Amino acid sequence: MTSANVKIGVVGAGTMGSGIAQISAQAGFETVVYDVSQEFIDKGLERIRASLQRFAARGKITAEEERRILARLTGALKLDGLSASALVIEAAPEQLDLKREIFKKLDAICAPETLLATNTSSFSVTAIAAATRLPERVLGMHFFNPPPLMALVEVIRAERTSPAVVERGLALARQLGKTPVTAKDTPGFIVNRIARSFYNEALRILSDDQAEVLTVDRVMKEAGGFPMGPFELMDLIGIDINFAATQSLYEASFHDPRFRPNPIQQRMLLAGNLGRKTGRGFYNYGQK
Amino acid sequence: MGKNSVAIIGRSRLAEELFRLSREKGLDAALHPDAGGIAAPVSLAVETYAADEEEKKAIVKKLDAVLPSGAVLLSSCLASPTTRLASWTGRPERVVGFATFYPIQGKKVIELGAGLRTEEGAIREAEKFFQALGKETARVKDGAGLIFPRILSLIINEAARSLDEGVAEAEAIDVAMRLGVNYPMGPLRWADQIGLDEVLAVLEGLQRETGEDRYRPAPLLRKMVLAGWLGESAGKGFYTYEGESQNAK
Repeated sequence: MTSANVKIGVVGAGTMGSGIAQISAQAGFETVVYDVSQEFIDKGLERIRASLQRFAARGKITAEEERRILARLTGALKLDGLSASALVIEAAPEQLDLKREIFKKLDAICAPETLLATNTSSFSVTAIAAATRLPERVLGMHFFNPPPLMALVEVIRAERTSPAVVERGLALARQLGKTPVTAKDTPGFIVNRIARSFYNEALRILSDDQAEVLTVDRVMKEAGGFPMGPFELMDLIGIDINFAATQSLYEASFHDPRFRPNPIQQRMLLAGNLGRKTGRGFYNYGQK
Repeated sequence: MGKNSVAIIGRSRLAEELFRLSREKGLDAALHPDAGGIAAPVSLAVETYAADEEEKKAIVKKLDAVLPSGAVLLSSCLASPTTRLASWTGRPERVVGFATFYPIQGKKVIELGAGLRTEEGAIREAEKFFQALGKETARVKDGAGLIFPRILSLIINEAARSLDEGVAEAEAIDVAMRLGVNYPMGPLRWADQIGLDEVLAVLEGLQRETGEDRYRPAPLLRKMVLAGWLGESAGKGFYTYEGESQNAK
């Protein structure tokens, strides 16, 4: 199968959706991006254009390639616009009811062979698949932010996903230029679950006053070899996003104490100290 | 041995590495497989054992008995806070904890933890020792595993649980953590390099000190240690190693 005659649909033109649409078009797939308003679609396409220009400026792609990639992208204001896709990747806001509604519609309009994938990081893929009549063709394809730069895709087997669909999902992820790994549909999948310890234990060390923010970050980088310390990374991710990920894992695990969120993070959230994007988090980044 | 001689005690890879590095840096250092062979005078003893607590206690007590009274005992506090280590000795003021995992090559910073009774002079001597090895030091509050070993052990524990629960294959877990969050090594491969017994010791130490469930070791990790599958050094851990090859099979 070549990418030339294969269409990929993306639901949502936000940060993740536009990033996924970009790698899809870069990999040679005709790509349709759906969102609820033309404004959102335009913003998403603008984000893709800016990203491609940065690639071009660094000599990663030629001006001709840039033009061809953009020509493979179209917007759609109706989900029907995605009906001819071999794969639809949903990257709508993280609201379970909304995702289930979208999958119900996709299930009705797409051919039975179409793979329906969700990019969710906090919900059970099984719960989303259950909104369809053909849960065998529903899987998780969890990309990492920003999709054009992060090589990993977690391909998630839900309770009823068929093995053939998992294989197809893996093949498509490779065609998108990514390195896929498979994981069972369990809270946090692989990365969000295991990485919790990096953040949560650092927060615990801080709340126990065992070391300061700066010391923990320095030690994790210079003794541990991590590219970023936990606190600077939380500031980059956003305290709200990181806190929500911890909370969702805590809820999904029926309050396993290993995943219990830390009050420090909650206080920062309440204070509006969300990290770099607000100019203030564990570190100060100047006024915003 | 001269006045400022260093005794490194243990059979671990970390002990051997510390000894090699000390010699390379021109320190008057000797490696002793156990506390028995130490001849006075020694100004600093580095003790690296970090698995079974009873055994650790016996080693620390023996060292305390054979070392000159003013000598500093720099002891691995991976599994027990420095204050606990110091409580086994008659020289709590001279006991300093350090926590790091093998190998120390490539690690710029070594963490030190002073016990409640540790005196400033002893910490300074410990800092001087690591500085002589070309390392920086970071002082943190006393606790099992200090910072890096503690956080990494919890990451490894969660990876071991995920593997045991069938969430994903070992290789998939390691690839995911390297590519998804840019970890320098996959946690399971990392555990094999460190030694699973040391990772387990950190978790057991934290659980013992805090009484908290969040530090409960993954059953698989404990079983693997009991089975002798300690990682690279044993030829088998989460991966299999043949001969001198460091590559995962």
